[in-house]
Amino acid sequence: MAVDAAAPSVPGWARWLRARLGRRAVPYLLLLPGGLWLLFFYVIPVAQLGAVSLQEGSFERGYAMTWRWANYTDALSTFSSQFIRSFVYAGTATLIALVIAYPLAYAIAFRGGRYKNLLLVLVLMPFLTPFLLRTLAWKVILADSGWVVGALQTLGLLAENGRLLATGWAVVAGITYNFLAFMTLPIYVSLEKIDHSLIEAAQDLYASPAVAFRRVTLPLSMPGIVAGTLLTFIPAAGDFVNAQLLGNPQQLMIGNVIDSRFLRVLDYPTAAALSFSLMLVILALVIPYVRAAGTEDLVA
Amino acid sequence: MTQQTEREERLTGERTGEPPAVELLGVTKAFGEVVAVDDITLVIDENRFFAMLGPSGCGKTTTLRMIGGFEEPTAGTIKLHGEPVTGLKPYQRPVNTVFQSYALFPHLTVFENVAFGLRRQGVDKARVRTRVNEMLDLVKLPGMTARKPAQLSGGQRQRVALARALINHPRVLLLDEPLGALDLKLRKEMQIELKRIQSEVGITFVHVTHDQEEAMTMADSIAVMSEGTIERLGSPAEIYEDPRSAFVANFLGASNLLEPASVDGDDAIVLADGTRLHLPTGAKAAAGMALGVRPEKISLYPADATDLPGNVIRGSVVDASYIGVSTQFLVTTPLGTSMTAVMQNVAPFAYRPGDEVLLGWEPDHSFIIDGG
Amino acid sequence: MATATPAAAAARPRGSFLRFIRRHLISFYAVVALSYLFLPVLVVILFSFNDNQGRFNFTWNGFTLKHWANAFAIPNLFDSLVTSLQIAFLSALVATILGTFIALALVRYRFRGRSTTNLFLFLPMATPEVVLGSSLLAFFLTLGAARGFATIVLAHIMFNISYVVVTVKARLAGFDRHLEEAAMDLYANEWQTFRRVTLPMIMPGVFAAFLLGFALSFDDFIITNFNSGQTVTFPLFIWGAARVGVPPQVNVFGSAIFVITVSLMFLNLALQRRRA
Repeated sequence: MAVDAAAPSVPGWARWLRARLGRRAVPYLLLLPGGLWLLFFYVIPVAQLGAVSLQEGSFERGYAMTWRWANYTDALSTFSSQFIRSFVYAGTATLIALVIAYPLAYAIAFRGGRYKNLLLVLVLMPFLTPFLLRTLAWKVILADSGWVVGALQTLGLLAENGRLLATGWAVVAGITYNFLAFMTLPIYVSLEKIDHSLIEAAQDLYASPAVAFRRVTLPLSMPGIVAGTLLTFIPAAGDFVNAQLLGNPQQLMIGNVIDSRFLRVLDYPTAAALSFSLMLVILALVIPYVRAAGTEDLVA
Repeated sequence: MTQQTEREERLTGERTGEPPAVELLGVTKAFGEVVAVDDITLVIDENRFFAMLGPSGCGKTTTLRMIGGFEEPTAGTIKLHGEPVTGLKPYQRPVNTVFQSYALFPHLTVFENVAFGLRRQGVDKARVRTRVNEMLDLVKLPGMTARKPAQLSGGQRQRVALARALINHPRVLLLDEPLGALDLKLRKEMQIELKRIQSEVGITFVHVTHDQEEAMTMADSIAVMSEGTIERLGSPAEIYEDPRSAFVANFLGASNLLEPASVDGDDAIVLADGTRLHLPTGAKAAAGMALGVRPEKISLYPADATDLPGNVIRGSVVDASYIGVSTQFLVTTPLGTSMTAVMQNVAPFAYRPGDEVLLGWEPDHSFIIDGG
Repeated sequence: MATATPAAAAARPRGSFLRFIRRHLISFYAVVALSYLFLPVLVVILFSFNDNQGRFNFTWNGFTLKHWANAFAIPNLFDSLVTSLQIAFLSALVATILGTFIALALVRYRFRGRSTTNLFLFLPMATPEVVLGSSLLAFFLTLGAARGFATIVLAHIMFNISYVVVTVKARLAGFDRHLEEAAMDLYANEWQTFRRVTLPMIMPGVFAAFLLGFALSFDDFIITNFNSGQTVTFPLFIWGAARVGVPPQVNVFGSAIFVITVSLMFLNLALQRRRA
């Protein structure tokens, strides 16, 4: 019985490792390369960002670590309007995206039938064009001489010489569009998982379709809604491309400020303080959500 | 050493010169607080069809997995053909397994599935091809080599799993409830097939199942397990006719268990209403015992019948269920207990619910269960 | 045996019309929503044919094929495309390998800190790109590293890892563990089992993760913007050009990429359908 013929295929060093470290070490070994990468390129930089946010100085003279907490208060007070505007825009866009995406996801999940996968692909396809090109396309669509503005003016929703571009609405519209896929997909996934016999059971128990939706489908799709809103809101809050291309200089979002502080004004401490504040606020909103939903559901 | 040899004798019922195929000595497996297998000692001889039978959770699958090397015992030793295998990985043990879900590799063809073990052992291509075809003939699946598992029916997949294991000429073949997913007719066919293959190939089969009929059809010896221990070990006839515990008595087939109010001498018991019942030959009456008699051993007689067997209990029919081959009668006794009797439908029966009848059986057709 | 009353008979045609609307309303909506999704794409493609005046390409001026003919007229445009493709390929490759290992560890093994690791992996996805980009910039500045191609690749690998882990994990979850036990039962040791059974079976998920990483990297703007130094990727080119006027050739390439990817996707679907 040539049972040991298998043994020589394992390289010697692997066998030595296995003997030394045992089976228990395997998961840690697997985690090591990726974990180190994230450590170097995520944890340390972010920690360092925190450190920079407490420094003071200027690009010419150099920076010194002085634990200048005032950086935070200064930055937040100076740019409070941009901060608030970012969250307002991101929040509005997320809500609108939810309203648009949910029925779409519902339609695909429940009426898609054999074409479900195809429809899903169709939802994702537009996002194969570069992000910037899509946003620029909105500039065309929402142009003053375009039909959207024209239609709104005819309907009386917009003043005679009103514009959409360079207003908050254009920015929100851009954000909503650009992150729609992030909202649709998770909702679709959780809707698709719903066992149809649950809905039939509800109807068997005298629930009308509307009631069945409210009491069975909607609650069961909550994990998807939570995931979708998070995946939309978080990048939206930090976005500045939409604001730059579709908005006006009076209506910058915090992302624009950070970008300019870092790359043009070179005021690193302030920029770092703003970045860190943004991240902390988002984490404060996200972590309770994630705890409640459970990361397994969220990211699966 | 003599004590251990005696113990081995008691368990297997015979002595052989060669080391047994499988030995479990004091094997225990605990998962944290839960003890799945509790100090089992078991010897399985060569060339036997051995079944481990029990309800789910009794530890039979865990025991099988320990023999195969997928779990390590918390305590105790496992030997294969006299060699201890503790610590050896599955690919280092001369046993092969047929999994409950078949575990066929979906991305490989039938040919490659069956050839998998041979390839790992470095057998050359020509020999591989010959042996794979031989094996597929043995399991009656010729010409299926190019298909993928997804294209096969349940029964066909089962045979591929079997071929894949057998082709490596293991000295022990482990089967983990392999027939569970098949429909009744197919299952019966496969039971006969497996038995045939085992005697043709001549290796030891260790088969885990919860289906007592399956175990009794196929196995030479059966170990009935419950809650991590072996309750009863023996041939199908032995453990059926002499279960020795209420659990085994009720797990294999059905039993009527009668508890006496007192004993009468050495060979009879007395029920609470004074009915006197004889024990089977050789049994000794003792306190706390129960007398068991299986439904098929009992016949119904009219209340005024005269030519009666040794033990008789009076009762009235509650239910008569016609099951094609037989009729099953449910009868209440004056004590308030119910007894079941099954009689073959040679001719229609005249007993109807409400009728007063006599339940009769020969004392030697019953068994006793010791109390405590 | 219901006999229709006159009132019911009158109500029925109207009722069924309403029901028709209600049942199909949602599908109708889906069509509208999908049109909304495709609108900008159509604009992009359309304006690659625009005979624009001046440097900007925002108002329709007439149909022309000249931009398609002169697709390579802009010197830096094609270079930036190539750079983007190179970065995307490299970063997706490395991220897929690293991420697959992590996913294997998370799904297969129970170890201390498993749930913490899950949370930890989720963090890069939850951090806004500005923070990721700016923190990496600060990091590279401190190290004195020159920002360019390499730093972009490093950054992209970093954010791709989380997405790869999520994708592969989803695929691994349905994996039957008995298959690996069966392989070991048939004399394959751990490495052979991995190579011959595990890996082939998770390959579709791994490949999907690679594609996802590729797409994310190719399209990335914000993080790249912070860490690019002098290197110009395709999105950076567009951004730079947006102020002075985006040449229509950008639309040409954008449309071409779209058409190619879509065709590949449909090809893949068709192949899968045929194989099954």
